[in-house]
Amino acid sequence: MMSGSRLATIARKEVRHIFRDWQTLVVVLVMPVMMMFLYGYALNADAKEIPVMIEMPSPAPETRQVADKIDASSLFSVRGTVPTASDPRELFRLHGIKALFRFPSGFARDVRRPGGARVQVLVDGSDPNLGTIIRNAAEPMLLGATLEVLGVEQPKVLDLRTLILYNPEQRSALFFVPGLMAVILLMISALLTSVAIAREKELGTMGQLLVSPLRPLEIIVGKIIPYLFLAAVDGFLILAVGRVAFGVRIAGNPWFLGACSLAYIFTALSIGLLISTLAKRQQHAMFMALGATMMPTVLLSGFIFPVASMPLPLRILSHIIPATYFLEIVRGIILKGVGLKELWTPLIVLMGEGLLLMGIAIRKFKVKL
Amino acid sequence: MEYSIRTEHLTKSFGAFTAVDHIDVAVEKGEVFGFLGANGAGKTTAIRMLCGLLAPTSGRGTVAGFDIIAETAKIRTRIGYMSQKFSLYPDLSVAENLRLYGGLYGLGGGELKDRIKEMAGFLGLGDLLPRITGSLPWGWQQRLSLACANLHRPEILFLDEPTGSVDPVSRRNFWDLIHRLSAQGTTIFITSHYMDEVEYCHRLSIMIEGRIAAIGSPRDLKREHGCATIHDLFLRLMERKSDGSPA
Ligand SMILES: Nc1ncnc2c1ncn2[C@@H]1O[C@H](COP(=O)(O)OP(=O)(O)OP(=O)(O)O)[C@@H](O)[C@H]1O
Ligand SMILES: [Mg+2]
Repeated sequence: MMSGSRLATIARKEVRHIFRDWQTLVVVLVMPVMMMFLYGYALNADAKEIPVMIEMPSPAPETRQVADKIDASSLFSVRGTVPTASDPRELFRLHGIKALFRFPSGFARDVRRPGGARVQVLVDGSDPNLGTIIRNAAEPMLLGATLEVLGVEQPKVLDLRTLILYNPEQRSALFFVPGLMAVILLMISALLTSVAIAREKELGTMGQLLVSPLRPLEIIVGKIIPYLFLAAVDGFLILAVGRVAFGVRIAGNPWFLGACSLAYIFTALSIGLLISTLAKRQQHAMFMALGATMMPTVLLSGFIFPVASMPLPLRILSHIIPATYFLEIVRGIILKGVGLKELWTPLIVLMGEGLLLMGIAIRKFKVKL
Repeated sequence: MEYSIRTEHLTKSFGAFTAVDHIDVAVEKGEVFGFLGANGAGKTTAIRMLCGLLAPTSGRGTVAGFDIIAETAKIRTRIGYMSQKFSLYPDLSVAENLRLYGGLYGLGGGELKDRIKEMAGFLGLGDLLPRITGSLPWGWQQRLSLACANLHRPEILFLDEPTGSVDPVSRRNFWDLIHRLSAQGTTIFITSHYMDEVEYCHRLSIMIEGRIAAIGSPRDLKREHGCATIHDLFLRLMERKSDGSPA
């Protein structure tokens, strides 16, 4: 049986700690917003006006026209034309270009021959994403441009129409807002609880709490409640900034999203608690919490790398961590506007994990210091 | 005779190492009992078992008449514990710490307010109530710890080296408070390294390597061993130990 007044005593004390340590509080509230703007700008750099150069040994009109088409495309911006590039690497280095289109001297002649002309595209592969974009775009663009210059009508054999459901404009904000919710809520909750409990062990106040009539469960619940609120505030902040600054609207029911977030925060707090039963000092707790939450969530939840394309062991791991399920839920609610009917499976897994972890943590916590 | 604390062959081992080795201690109600021993003798371990923080390996004990293994919940409301480590919240004010510890023992409202006022007056903490605990001198912090441990008026106070690194004047004041509490009927179980101050105890025991080497009133012990002070007695017992055990 829990006593409400003892619970309130502990919770009130924890709230005092939170407000006394205002620097941490500021970090907890400002960090999510900062991370959103960082991700927002980093991911919003949609590929446009990629700097390229063209090697053109004999400026025949056809070659010129094709080169102009490259420059005219919104994807590329031609920074210059050279007759010969004896050392292409030098051009990449000096002009900061990402690709070099190398036309042969007989381009105008070769295009009219049966074997066709050979064009080489040198791509800076140091940024794999950009490299892939250039590679995928170069061939159809050059082909189209050449056919147009030659006045050849493209034979129409295929009419491909892609229609993107959910996030039709492919805006990156719709992608990183759910991801950041998953990362930040988990990190904040696990980090703050584990550090708060490790701090009491380090201070020696935990022993003082344990010799009092307070039950271990009261200590746990009383300490956790304020962090539940704090994490909820963070979740709200992320959604608010997502809406105001990035125009992300919640397609589904916001209350359902709130309820699912609380389930996720509960799971995260259990992880924090579990960590605190292992860590004796605040620093241990901090590193363990960051290691156990940040990395797996960013890498394995499907936030950045799609789960389907992971090798089997990682896919299994990804199906263990709670963030994967939460991400599925948040994306479902925000992007697709679906509800409990579609999302009950991940929600049950999430809550099951939370209860299991909390159970283990409480059992471990009861063992005397 | 009514005993506040009683142990029979109380033992605690950590693996192969026995920190507390079959100790028998009986403390009467209202007594100031000094629990002495060198560093690592096993004092803290024994106190933690008595407070229900640590399960004994073997042996038995009662505190306030309740079994230290089976009835820890009943013991908790009847004891106050001041651990060897500093155990207040340094970021809270003096009043907040007092209210917190009162709240843990179910005190609230006007009763808690009265107790805090009374305790603050008793310990001379009155002017310090709004101060942040971490900013107080160490001696005052120790007084506050005592106040927190005593707020719920426990029958027994366990004080684990409460006067460690406290200046001599503050130490003298602290012992005055302890005797005033004892006069009100509180049993005090206290550890210390300062042999001069333990002369004030009603009775004391000297622990060496987990065993109780001597127990009795300071006067009896000094007479029995022919020593002028407890300080000498302590050294004598330590020497005998090193003579006796060739290792
Ligand atoms: N959890 C533990 N695991 C292993 N050994 C322990 C543990 N707790 C205490 N000990 C050992 O038991 C012995 C007694 O420790 P204890 O803290 O009871 O001594 P003490 O008399 O209080 O000493 P001090 O005057 O330094 O406070 C020490 O050697 C200590 O290293
Ligand atoms: Mg000790």
